[in-house]
Amino acid sequence: MRAPEFLRSSALRLALAFAIAMTVASSLVFGLVYLRITAVSESRVRSILEDEAWKGANYSDEEIKNAVTQRLTRDLRHLDYVALFSESGTLLIGNVGKVTIPADGRSHFVSEAPRTDPGQKSEPAILVARLRPDGSLLMLGRNLDEVFTLRRTVLQALVGAIGPMLLMALAIGAFFARRESRRLIHIHDTIARIMRGDLQVRLPVRRRPDEIDRVSRDVNLMLDEIVRLLLQVKNVSDNIAHDLRTPLAVMCAKLERGLAGSDDHELRVATRQALSELDKAMMTITALLRISEVESALRSSGFKSIDLSAICADVFEFYEPLGKARSVAMVLDARSPVPTLGDGDLMREALANLIDNAVKFTPEGGTVTLSAAIEAGRPVVRVSDSGSGVAPGERDRIFERFYRTIRNDRVPGSGLGLSIAAAIAKLHDFELRVEDNRPGALFIMSGRGASAKAPP
Amino acid sequence: MSMTGDPLKRPSVLLIEDEKGLAEEISAELQSLGYRVQHVDSVAEGFSAARAGSSAIMVVDRMLHGSDGLSMVEALREEGVKTPVLLISALSSVDDRIRGLKAGGDDYLTKPFAMAELAARVEALLRRLDDVRTTKLRAGGLEMDLIEQTVMRDGTLIELLPREFKLLEYFLRRPGRIVTRAMLLEGVWHYRFIPETNVVDVHIGNLRRKIDIAGAPPLIINIRGAGFMLHAGA
Repeated sequence: MRAPEFLRSSALRLALAFAIAMTVASSLVFGLVYLRITAVSESRVRSILEDEAWKGANYSDEEIKNAVTQRLTRDLRHLDYVALFSESGTLLIGNVGKVTIPADGRSHFVSEAPRTDPGQKSEPAILVARLRPDGSLLMLGRNLDEVFTLRRTVLQALVGAIGPMLLMALAIGAFFARRESRRLIHIHDTIARIMRGDLQVRLPVRRRPDEIDRVSRDVNLMLDEIVRLLLQVKNVSDNIAHDLRTPLAVMCAKLERGLAGSDDHELRVATRQALSELDKAMMTITALLRISEVESALRSSGFKSIDLSAICADVFEFYEPLGKARSVAMVLDARSPVPTLGDGDLMREALANLIDNAVKFTPEGGTVTLSAAIEAGRPVVRVSDSGSGVAPGERDRIFERFYRTIRNDRVPGSGLGLSIAAAIAKLHDFELRVEDNRPGALFIMSGRGASAKAPP
Repeated sequence: MSMTGDPLKRPSVLLIEDEKGLAEEISAELQSLGYRVQHVDSVAEGFSAARAGSSAIMVVDRMLHGSDGLSMVEALREEGVKTPVLLISALSSVDDRIRGLKAGGDDYLTKPFAMAELAARVEALLRRLDDVRTTKLRAGGLEMDLIEQTVMRDGTLIELLPREFKLLEYFLRRPGRIVTRAMLLEGVWHYRFIPETNVVDVHIGNLRRKIDIAGAPPLIINIRGAGFMLHAGA
């Protein structure tokens, strides 16, 4: 089944194009050689003839007759033309009939140079005629047979070579095209397997990668990311299932108990309790959707220059009364502007979640501090509390969705606030981590990049 | 149909919603508040009902049977229909919200929502702010001077923080109407998220301590399961 597929492929077209290009290129080379060879041999004949005619015209009568006779006797192959005409035009000696070319001592092409010997046919030749001082005319010439033969030979070689060359180019082209085609078919088959659900296979990448290998490598990386996301989605849905089933089960039980009793007041109480469970479940769903929204958002278009100091002050003002109500001292340290690129609303939300968390876990009489500054050229926001802190082993996991700590069980809320903050930090290319505040927790959100230039 | 108010006095709501259960609940809630509710469940019916122009407000689901409630609102706005629109949607991102408001929606509510929230927002849309150029707002013995930025209760000056002043102004502009926590977060603090802790209640508590007088009924009362209300007649 591979052959017809190959014939339909772009590989074949590539092979054909390669063959044609090769053929055209070689034909051009041959053509050039052909033209050069004939031109060079013809021009050599011409210059020799002109030279000889010039010398011969100045010979004495005796010398020229000897020379002509000598040449006639030596010319066994009948290549040379030589003749001496009297002033009146009669042939004195030689083997050429009367030809009308100017007696200017320059070479001229004559398509049919007449022979005086009756057995010889007229042939194309180059002739030179020159007047001698006594008025007689010397004519020298050479048959172009040799040049023509050469020309024919080259032409035959050219024509003979084109066929095999075309075939060879086709074969080479087909070989390479087929090889590429095979690789692509292999990649195609692999992708088909992946699409059928086998997410463990990967595209082949050779040790010395070319462009296709680089694309394959990118596809492989993409697959890794997809697998990671799938796992994450699975984890999240497992967690959602857990976190929603619990309040749903409680709700169910309460409502059933309320209905089973005969007391209307009891039913009202049960209904109210069920509603508050439902509120919890709705809060969880909203927070989860919020996280995936932030995670799937594109960092980019909405980003503007924002001042983290101003945002800290704003969120601080919002939470200050809460601290006061709980007898927690609130301290703000954000004196100079901390410009960065980001989404102001999201940053506010992230900070609100961090402060919310800090206030929740700080006992009466404790302190929550919020600060923003530029450190080593990078924007850094710190939220610290004097609560029970986060155990070293939990510090990485605390930002994961649904990570349960002892902290979470004591306080209201979805427990997803830190995950939302982490997602927002990631979107902004900020790092969010927690350290020991001795006592308490210190949340540090710091930009990986330099602080943005202050708006002009 | 059971109505607590005079059906002719209470305006009519056009509800365009294709989820039967949700539509029933919304209708029931609004009817219990005395609104007349006309319910349709498709874009086509929505168009003709909206063009008829008999309703004072439209509640439109953004996604209807796979077709787009948003483009319907857009088309109606282009035709010159000015009826206020409350969009309800399962899409909650800021972009979606902005797109919804740009298309001609006047307010945007994300599912899941409490019925009280929906009712409060419908009412807020129906009763646009009185005169925004007003310089003095009054309720009971309380008077707010918007130019001087001062608040007096029975002739005594009350010191308020700037944000407390804004919070009180928000209530004074909506006397006798339910104001939800989300509306306050949006309107006073410009927050688009609901914090986990009920910080709004703390702010209201602080405000109450400053504006209420011992013995007199509180100006701002809690509405169970919904939010707060400034006692208009107090």
